[in-house]
Amino acid sequence: MGINGSRLRARATWLALCALGSGIASAQEVQGGGAATGAAVPKSISVSQSRLDGAAKDSANYLHSNGSYAQTRYHAASQINKGNVAKLKPAFVFQTEVVESMETAPIVVDGIMYLTTSYNHIYAVDAKTGKEFWHYKHKQGPVTTYCCGPNNRGVAIMGDRVYMGTLDAKLLALDAKTGKVLWSQQIDDPEKGYSETMAPVAVNGKILIGTNGGEYGIRGFVKAYDANDGKLLWTFYTIPDKGHEGVWAVNDATNRNMLRDINAEKAQLQSGGGDFYKTLGGGVWMAPAVDKETNTVFFVVGNPSPDLYGKERPGDNLYTDSIVAVDLNTGEKKWHYQYVAHDVWDLDAVSPVILTEAKDKSGKMRKVAVHGGKTGHVYVHDRATGELIRFSEAMVPQENMWVLPTQSGARMLPGANGGVEWSPMAFNPKTRLVYAANLHQPMTYHVEEAKYPGGKLWLGGAFKVIPSEKQWGRLAAVNVDTGKLAWKVDTEQPLIGGVLATAGDLVFNGEGNGYFRAFDAATGKKLWEFQCGAGVNAPAVTYMVGGKQYVAVAAGGNTQLDFKRGNSVFVFALP
Amino acid sequence: MRTIPRWICALCALLAALAAPAQTAPPKAALCVACHGSNGNATIAVNPSLAGQTARYLYLQLRDFQEDRRSDPQMTPIAKDLTRDEMRALADYFAAQKPAPQPFKADPAKAKLGKAKADETLCTMCHLGGFAGQNEIPRVAGQNYDYVVKQLRDFKDKRRTNDAGNMTSVSRTLSDADMENLGHFLAGL
Repeated sequence: MGINGSRLRARATWLALCALGSGIASAQEVQGGGAATGAAVPKSISVSQSRLDGAAKDSANYLHSNGSYAQTRYHAASQINKGNVAKLKPAFVFQTEVVESMETAPIVVDGIMYLTTSYNHIYAVDAKTGKEFWHYKHKQGPVTTYCCGPNNRGVAIMGDRVYMGTLDAKLLALDAKTGKVLWSQQIDDPEKGYSETMAPVAVNGKILIGTNGGEYGIRGFVKAYDANDGKLLWTFYTIPDKGHEGVWAVNDATNRNMLRDINAEKAQLQSGGGDFYKTLGGGVWMAPAVDKETNTVFFVVGNPSPDLYGKERPGDNLYTDSIVAVDLNTGEKKWHYQYVAHDVWDLDAVSPVILTEAKDKSGKMRKVAVHGGKTGHVYVHDRATGELIRFSEAMVPQENMWVLPTQSGARMLPGANGGVEWSPMAFNPKTRLVYAANLHQPMTYHVEEAKYPGGKLWLGGAFKVIPSEKQWGRLAAVNVDTGKLAWKVDTEQPLIGGVLATAGDLVFNGEGNGYFRAFDAATGKKLWEFQCGAGVNAPAVTYMVGGKQYVAVAAGGNTQLDFKRGNSVFVFALP
Repeated sequence: MRTIPRWICALCALLAALAAPAQTAPPKAALCVACHGSNGNATIAVNPSLAGQTARYLYLQLRDFQEDRRSDPQMTPIAKDLTRDEMRALADYFAAQKPAPQPFKADPAKAKLGKAKADETLCTMCHLGGFAGQNEIPRVAGQNYDYVVKQLRDFKDKRRTNDAGNMTSVSRTLSDADMENLGHFLAGL
């Protein structure tokens, strides 16, 4: 339904094609010299730490890519609500000059919107009228290496600056008023597969950022930089140099046997040694959550490298496929919890962590950290210890878990995109529901021996979609206190892009076929939809200017799933 | 208006950058032409033509020869002495050269079988429509027959592994006849 044969064919072995994004010498990449063009923002921009701390209660602004440090993507504005959302109309459409995958979460402060595009352009725009102020185009270095599209998920804002990570693995600080680059810091070597697509997080004078590169044999990390001058403050490596073999876990987080040959792995570690930690992957490519009360940073870590060939990386491959808590001031690890040890399916942990409260098994409210997995489960952890309080029922079909990949291909559900891909979830504290954008893409998993290829795509096999099997998406609402599905809405196309929840009892989500929709937060009833003309594969945001609420979402399509490309941010309001 | 001069400067710099590689051969290019032909069109058919190849691919292959992920008695020692900047300059230069018509006379019947096998194997998903290549995936349209067949055999037999096994996986199901047919098809493009 909606996915024709040629499309499916074009999607087969998509991950093997991820390399195709690397280093495309497009017009967008070579133009510009690092300075913004256009006009300065006609007001001064200043975002204090207390405003950033209070973002969850701020109904006028949208100050973090995921709404707040807790990343609930639940916004306090309620002028647009389930009673009137049916009347929602476009207020303006902002067209960028880059027609390519859009994953940006626009930041809105005092009526000014900062949005990004593929290839690291930033636009500063009047959030009420769509009038463009400045436009910054990043000039990429000679080599960029990234899978899955030249994406960018947005800026972070703090003080009078915005911060962006780039495809050539730099972190930039720009003047929010003029777009002038104030400093630029090389995070790591793009030739070795490091790149940036995530929105950084700005907190307490620091900029937190991780890295892409799990398909290229990087050694993952989260780093903290001084927001003032770009000086590196600390690095947490997601792959420890010692002890990455872990506890030789037999079962996954849901107590299913992962069919590891642990004796063979131990023998391999004995004979081959543990030096492979240098290329073991473990990217962190979505924004971390921050608990200011305990000065703790929470994030999930991606897959080990190579994705499918595990023989030469024996052990649990810590801290890949894990949720990790580190100290905000030092980067020192507090705890970790691994979902899938020694992953050979790329069913890693990506969707950003949400901080909230949930009932434990005895009914007591506890502070929790929540993650939606590619596995199709929502995992609820104690925020202080990492203890897994519960995992939800599966949101999408699971079959044949954990069959090992073979040369000719082994079928297992979910496919390697999930479940929940990078798409941020949203949580509504009133309904107690977390809303997750899911995919159903049946795949076969193929393994092939593969030596480290020096920063080139390193899968150790292939993922292939099964052309005869239908693909679809599912917006699922899961109760964090029980782990039960409250409702689900199935969609024609696999969902990627993320969710927004609002105090108007609404949930907003887009689809690759161009539809952007609003649902009743309690029931999942569709209340409104609008056809944007290109894939809506970015998380929506909302804000108020002059007492009027707006909802903004990018419609730029998606490289990874080949949804129709566009170049626009649509902004909606009540008439 | 401060923005206009800056814009013109950026444009001039861009045009200069685009024009430069095609015009002047970098000094180290003299090392290449004996085997790869003047302007990168190799007349010794077991060697690849470099003209029109993607810069990204050429650069990565030089780096792989240097770091022993790909090995060849001629190429390895040459690459060992190149700096990264020299590699980039060579890659940009040969990428900007025009591919000459292929002297190899492809057998139409074999080329037809080769095309059918290419379609079945989904080659263009990585090598792109027209086999023009992109990024780290090489252009193979119009490439020398002997070179193409040798590479396919080397991938299949794991003598060449610097693509991390993607082509090994693909060539696993190719017979000798398939490889030869593909060689005819690609040389004729």
